[in-house]
Amino acid sequence: MSAKLEALSQNLQQCLGDRVKSLKLAFGEVTLEVAAADYFSVMQSLRDEPDLAFEELIDLCGVDYSAYGNEAREGLRFAAVSHLLSISKNWRLRVRCFAPDDDFPSLPSVTSIWNSVNWFEREAFDLFGIVFPGHDDLRRILTDYGFIGHPFRKDFPISGYVEMRYDPEQQRVIYQPVTIEPREITPRIVREATYGNAENA
Amino acid sequence: MGIDGILQEGFVTTTADQLINYVRTGSMWPMSFGLACCAIEMIHAGCSRYDLDRFGIVFRPSPRQSDVMVVAGTLTNKMAPAMRKVYDQMAEPRWVVSMGSCANGGGYYHYAYSVVRGCDRIVPVDIYVPGCPPTAEALIYGLIQLQNKIRRTSTIAR
Repeated sequence: MSAKLEALSQNLQQCLGDRVKSLKLAFGEVTLEVAAADYFSVMQSLRDEPDLAFEELIDLCGVDYSAYGNEAREGLRFAAVSHLLSISKNWRLRVRCFAPDDDFPSLPSVTSIWNSVNWFEREAFDLFGIVFPGHDDLRRILTDYGFIGHPFRKDFPISGYVEMRYDPEQQRVIYQPVTIEPREITPRIVREATYGNAENA
Repeated sequence: MGIDGILQEGFVTTTADQLINYVRTGSMWPMSFGLACCAIEMIHAGCSRYDLDRFGIVFRPSPRQSDVMVVAGTLTNKMAPAMRKVYDQMAEPRWVVSMGSCANGGGYYHYAYSVVRGCDRIVPVDIYVPGCPPTAEALIYGLIQLQNKIRRTSTIAR
């Protein structure tokens, strides 16, 4: 890959040392994985080390790996993935950190490092239920007020548990249990595994 | 209106129903309730090319001043109480035009956990305009259909 990304990888190894759990370079992008215990200090270093200088956080999102690749999977379920940008160095980095406990996933908030992460952490909390201790305003951001559950978790049904209608007797909008049938989403066209494979043509 | 014979005397005769319906259909002021991409088509209909003003249809920012609500776009669970509140604030007689697949029946988001499966679950709807999004012409056609519907009503006999 390009010399620039090699330099970034080397700088990461030098500055972070054994806090680097894994470092991947693929598709012209660098992905750094860190342990939850090192997450905050690594993020602090990524911004403050002059050789890295990630001044800007572009995005943070939650990921639920429970159905990843459609196969049984070892390891932790939830991760927070951040995308960082260094304007002065003109390079980017992806940081992945798995949350330790599957039942109560929790990662330290990095709002004190980048202000822009505030709403992204709220989003990850809302949709995946990842808690960020240190966040000063960890409320739901997208779903309805009083919403129950975390809709982007793989075990959340796509139609949810409740639906909304107007109740003429109470003269207000109310929630009731979902009335529609789940949708059949098995593809009708099943192609053989080698479909479109140039070798078999 | 019946103008035969009496017009040269300086009089026009008509029925109260016809007069009232003429006034109502000639000045339907919609509460613009733009929620998604349908709102863009609604804006096209309101701007100079299609120009809803020539039908006497002038968008109002307040429910207190409007007769029609155009629900243009995806109605989410979070928005539904607000929309019902806006509808309740409109003075009667009032009409609702549901614009686009999402407002008609949930459309693309019919099976989603966060979207109302049709705004007729929240408010009574008079005209459904199909499309995703409906073109500005389709919305104008729907509004003309609403005018026809209003003309059919007889106010006195209600």
